[in-house]
Amino acid sequence: MARMKFLCDADRCIECNACVTACKNENDVPWGINRRRVVTINDGKPGERSVSMACMHCTDAPCAAVCPVDCFYTTADAVVLHNKDLCIGCGYCFYACPFGAPQYPKLSNFGSRGKMDKCTYCAGGPEVDLSPAEFQKYGSNRLAEGKLPLCAEMCSTKALLAGDGEIIAQIYKERVVKRGYGSGAWGWQTAYRETIAI
Amino acid sequence: MLIKRKSADVQRGRLQSALGGLAAGVMDRRSFLRRSGLVAGGVAAAGALQIGAVRKAEAASPGPATGTKIVKNICTHCSVGCTVKAEVANGVWVGQEPAWESPINRGTHCAKGASVRELVHGDRRIKYPMKLVDGKWQRLSWDQAVGEIGDKMMEIRAKSGADSVYLLGSAKFSNEGSYLFRKFAAFWGTNNVDHQARICHSTTVAGVANTWGYGAMTNSYNDIRNSKTVLFMGSNAAEAHPVSMQHILAGKETQRANVIVFDPRFTRTAAHATDYVRFRSGTDIAVIWGLMWHIFQNGWEDKAFIASRVHGMDDVRKEVEKYDPKTVEDITGVPGEQMKRAAQTFATVKPATFVWCMGVTQHSVGTANVRAICNLLLATGNVGARGTGANIFRGHCNVQGATDFGLDVSNLPCYYGLVEGAWRHWARVWNVDYDYFVSRFDEVPAKGGRPARTRKQNMELSGLTSTRWFDATNLPAEQVDQQDNLKAMFVMGHGGNSIPRMTDLAKGLEKLDLLVVCDPHPTNFVSLGGRKNGTYVLPICTQFETSGSRTCSNRSLQWGEKIVEPIFESASDYAVIYKLSQKLGFAEAMFKPYEMVQGKIGPEPTAESILKEINRGGWSTGYTGQSPERLKLHMANQDKFDLVTLRGAKGSPVENDFYGLPWPCWGTPEFKHPGSHILYNTSLEARDGGGTFRPRFGLTRERTLPDGSKVNDTLLAEGGSFSLNSEIKDGYPEFTMGVLKKLGWDKDLTPAELEVITGIGGNNIDAVSWSIDLSGGIQRVALEHGCVPYGNGKARANAWNLPDPVPTHREPIYSPRVDLVAKWPARPDERTLRIPNLHTSMQKAAVEKGIAKAFPIVLTSGRLVEYEGGGEETRSNKWLAELQQDMFVEINPADASERGIRDGAFVWVSGPENGAKARVKALVTDRVGKGAAFMPFHFGGFFQGVDQRGNYPPGTDPIVLGESVNTVTTYGYDPVTGMHEGKATLCQIAAA
Amino acid sequence: MPLGAHLRFLFSGLLLALALAVAAPAGAQQVNPTANSVREQQFLEVLKGNPSAELRGRVSIPDTRAATLERPAGRDWRSFHQGTMTRIGAVAVLGMLVILVAFYLFRGRIRIAAGPSGQTITRFNAFERFMHWLTAGCFIILALSGLNVTFGKALLLPLIGPQAFTNLSVAAKWSHNFLAWPFMLGVALMFLVWIKDNIPNLGDLRWLAAGGGLIGKGHAPPARRFNGGQKVIFWAVVLGGAALSVSGVYLLYPSFSGGVLDMQFWNMVHGIVAVLMIAVMLAHIYIGSIGMEGAFDAMGSGEVDLNWAKEHHALWVAEEVEKGRAPGARLQPAE
Repeated sequence: MARMKFLCDADRCIECNACVTACKNENDVPWGINRRRVVTINDGKPGERSVSMACMHCTDAPCAAVCPVDCFYTTADAVVLHNKDLCIGCGYCFYACPFGAPQYPKLSNFGSRGKMDKCTYCAGGPEVDLSPAEFQKYGSNRLAEGKLPLCAEMCSTKALLAGDGEIIAQIYKERVVKRGYGSGAWGWQTAYRETIAI
Repeated sequence: MLIKRKSADVQRGRLQSALGGLAAGVMDRRSFLRRSGLVAGGVAAAGALQIGAVRKAEAASPGPATGTKIVKNICTHCSVGCTVKAEVANGVWVGQEPAWESPINRGTHCAKGASVRELVHGDRRIKYPMKLVDGKWQRLSWDQAVGEIGDKMMEIRAKSGADSVYLLGSAKFSNEGSYLFRKFAAFWGTNNVDHQARICHSTTVAGVANTWGYGAMTNSYNDIRNSKTVLFMGSNAAEAHPVSMQHILAGKETQRANVIVFDPRFTRTAAHATDYVRFRSGTDIAVIWGLMWHIFQNGWEDKAFIASRVHGMDDVRKEVEKYDPKTVEDITGVPGEQMKRAAQTFATVKPATFVWCMGVTQHSVGTANVRAICNLLLATGNVGARGTGANIFRGHCNVQGATDFGLDVSNLPCYYGLVEGAWRHWARVWNVDYDYFVSRFDEVPAKGGRPARTRKQNMELSGLTSTRWFDATNLPAEQVDQQDNLKAMFVMGHGGNSIPRMTDLAKGLEKLDLLVVCDPHPTNFVSLGGRKNGTYVLPICTQFETSGSRTCSNRSLQWGEKIVEPIFESASDYAVIYKLSQKLGFAEAMFKPYEMVQGKIGPEPTAESILKEINRGGWSTGYTGQSPERLKLHMANQDKFDLVTLRGAKGSPVENDFYGLPWPCWGTPEFKHPGSHILYNTSLEARDGGGTFRPRFGLTRERTLPDGSKVNDTLLAEGGSFSLNSEIKDGYPEFTMGVLKKLGWDKDLTPAELEVITGIGGNNIDAVSWSIDLSGGIQRVALEHGCVPYGNGKARANAWNLPDPVPTHREPIYSPRVDLVAKWPARPDERTLRIPNLHTSMQKAAVEKGIAKAFPIVLTSGRLVEYEGGGEETRSNKWLAELQQDMFVEINPADASERGIRDGAFVWVSGPENGAKARVKALVTDRVGKGAAFMPFHFGGFFQGVDQRGNYPPGTDPIVLGESVNTVTTYGYDPVTGMHEGKATLCQIAAA
Repeated sequence: MPLGAHLRFLFSGLLLALALAVAAPAGAQQVNPTANSVREQQFLEVLKGNPSAELRGRVSIPDTRAATLERPAGRDWRSFHQGTMTRIGAVAVLGMLVILVAFYLFRGRIRIAAGPSGQTITRFNAFERFMHWLTAGCFIILALSGLNVTFGKALLLPLIGPQAFTNLSVAAKWSHNFLAWPFMLGVALMFLVWIKDNIPNLGDLRWLAAGGGLIGKGHAPPARRFNGGQKVIFWAVVLGGAALSVSGVYLLYPSFSGGVLDMQFWNMVHGIVAVLMIAVMLAHIYIGSIGMEGAFDAMGSGEVDLNWAKEHHALWVAEEVEKGRAPGARLQPAE
């Protein structure tokens, strides 16, 4: 089985936010929920870099570990998904996530955050593949259609890579060798306990 | 609501079988890569590897489920021209898929492109025609609305003349829409017709066309992959043209190219540069001449290129001598060493290309800025070859096409100008009597000491620019050089907040008798000012709801197919222009060449038939070969084009064509010219897309030698510079029937062609040129002999017909360096484009009033990636609006702390004119240097602290409103094109 | 990881990006943004020595939380929650149960030494009992629903299945969120009403030194209204309740608490205090019910046997008698 990962090549990312709106477009994500976002480090200073970040679909995912109702599961493609029917909106995954991926419809309201929502790697959820129920709860299921997440597919500079971890690592490695610089596979050490050695 | 695909094939199996091999050990990683197309070209292609490749492996499989069809159109935002691939089910646009096959965007988008689907679901669109009655919006039928508008226009025409109605068109039109609107203006009888290019690249077009012939980007986004040095100036491509960065960054990586960014602001583009140079806004010429100083000093110029292809470089050399490093550092703030490094890189690490945008063009010396850059390119021999060129990134999706089709105060379609010959040419193409057009124009009485003008003279005089329309409303009638002041604005697809001096603009708006806003979203023409009556709002559909071609920045044409029917009661530009023409009584004459179909609000012409008429008339710019059939063939075979050369693959239906048949695409469609990927490229045959510099300004020019004697310098190319396999191995003038005869090539004309030429020329057949020969015969014969129809000339380093033939630094009208104004003053006051242009008086007044002390911060403006133009459309798109919810000003931490301003707090930004002020949020950042501030220009709906949401027709107000930067920007206009000085003014910032 | 390290979360909302900002030349003019680009490795190295830091940048959306790019501390919280928290919880709760069982086996039920007198004295009035039971009732449900979050997945989920467990957990979450308020009210009232009787004094030390008479056969030193043990419970409830209230409110209103690091901190405070308090309360419940004859009546009917009262709160009985509120005073004339 493939081991699906994201890799944002910060030396290509220009903070155009295509990944963000592609995600909204593809999954009809409501206002206020940001499954993906672009963060600029050292904004305005020489060496500034932007990184597109969403759920990294960690190995041994902290969200799954701390979930009190065990609503997370990992697919055969190593995509970390969750079952909204089981989610109780407790916020623990949000505390545990190193990447700020979990989102709640009503973060500031007393008592209820609503069901947690996060990047599904465009792989839907536990419902029947490509069913309306699946779309309504989780958004599209591109993996089931043989496609990759739209954020990466539409990335303007092909900075955001999605696909099998080994393949995208190889693409990144070859880029770095070719151009002679690379700011790192952001999040990989934290998410996968590994990095790309060049 | 579930509006996405409701069903699709479950194809998980495909992905799993593709990826599954890995674990199963059936396939090693290497063979998987190969199978996925990932190693195509081996490691060499690593930089170009596309992520979608994994998906590509499956792309051959059957498409989406039945019931969903794929329609291709072009993104309606910037000029890069990304293909939008829409999934449509039951007439609803349900999904957007990456268009991998497009050689331009290869599946990708920016934030705007990735969210265009929202535009045709947008509940904030204008839903039906409306008019303002005593401050209240009333719904109308289309017939009623157009009827009332037409009556009012006729009334104004009778009282004040045709020139009193301003026709403001749009860079969002398709080519066909632009052309139709220009034709509409001709039938109405005015040259007061303009569009966004005025405020975008009008100075570029003027500067570049006056240098080497055509006012357009010389190369392409894709070609930048070949560059070894890319210099950006006043361009933030990462935000304004994000998808272009795909090519630039890939080129930077594979070529290890230098990317040098000159900008007052450390932009997202600068973050990816190999060298960033901060300079003071408004000192572009000093920067360029500073670079040239080092180039000439060190002999880095391309002497052979200058000798054979450039006229007047010595005049430039003389001017540049004044710009030694010390002077330049004083003016621009850039240290000499850094200038030297950049100059050396640009001149010696070749091919080098220069990319510029509005940071260069929006100045009172915009045209001169552009001319300076052209000279840098000429001096270093960086024009007319791959990897080089003036890569002018244009703004809107079809600003190139709209410019080409003369939505411009001084041109008929395809840059024919306004001279009698031009009018006669188009009258022939339109099959309307020339005298009819003469009769449509106003007679202008003598006033203000100026002589009267006949109809014919008025017809040949450039109109009012869109940057100053309100001056023509507000100024005393005597100062406005036409029959009367402006009384009506008919605006199709143009925002109101994109030009400076909004406080004056608001006054002008109130004075109008009639204001018609035709747009998918109400622009801030609707919300601004205190109008209570006489405003009409007409719902226009987006280009996704109609068909037509659009020309991207690299001159490639792409055909967009209608994705869905116009939503609500909206209608296409074609339908509305037809309906209004019908009301005004000239529809029959104007539309007779077209195939008409029944649309929602009445008959409308098909885009195909309009394009065919363009093909019959657009000879001067090579808009003749791009028939709808050829364009559609290209769209269907996008995957057959090479990523870098844009050439169609051998054996494919588009073999040898360049993608989108970039103009000039000479001759008739049957001639099969491939288009010109790179302009002035002598390394290709003329009929294969090659070219030369265009001699448009005579054949020789007199020069006085030091001893007082005079010589005539040739303006034709010398020294063996000609396009590949040209039969004339030297410079040559443009082709006319007379030239053909002299060469004995007239025998190659077919009888049919000869007949057409005779019909045009009458008793002076020799004067019929390549640009007015409707048969295309002269072009065909020239090309078949390896020659370029327009001739083979020299580019002009000295453009003697311009106000500053050799550019010289001039301080902005509002300069922070009062001490430099005396030495580098603005131009003297003059009258340009029908009204006064008070460069010197305004600059002097600013100095005398001590403006620079009271307003010490240099203010510049620019784009955000999420929004575009005036921004109503994008600010109404919920997916985009969420990303930028507040108007802001970028201020340096040092300036902020001096003023007690916190990041995210509200501040007042005030401008030097009319006590203008804007309340915005502070973004405290090092992006701007100390003493500089930046504001995005996409906001509107707040005016000097007042929320104007209530002024929009109910339900159509954009989600995000904000102050417009142009509330505080100021006077200053380019003498050639009327471009405003939006990029260098002064302001003060205080905590709110 | 020691708790101390976690506590630092509260005090350091360190913006790592600023700390790491590449030394930029003043005019930012001679720069090569490619060569000087920030690298993830730099940040991770700083983060290693400073678990409370997070890597923050700038985002255009108003949600400032989104500006945090990476927070490896999430991993640490997870290990706290799955490790430390679970262990402390298990040790506290199970440990206390073991102690109580052992105590019961060793000591048995503590009888009233003099046997029931048949006479009663009013120990707690109706309002005091209401306040106690309000707090106690809420606490029990809060405790159970809270324990469910940490232990339910392991203990209950396998028994009742995911959907039922989620339904239960949702109900538990809602009751936890809503019962928190009456619980806080109860704690506040108890504090106000009983504080005057719970000021620690020397006698309490003696009482505690003597093991409260619970260990061994000797009698505890005489106590006033509340003996040393009860004062310990009182202060445990007041201080623990306050800690739970403050941390709980922060958790209920994420927008007050600032960043996720703060929320992690409050969550840890809440969890640890809660399990410790549960342990204390288990002891309290034991001694107030099966552990001691006559004790339950104090909060049951409010009337305790006079002998019980004399044995445990001799000084208080004397005071009550003095005030004429004790049966001793009332009954005498009748004889």
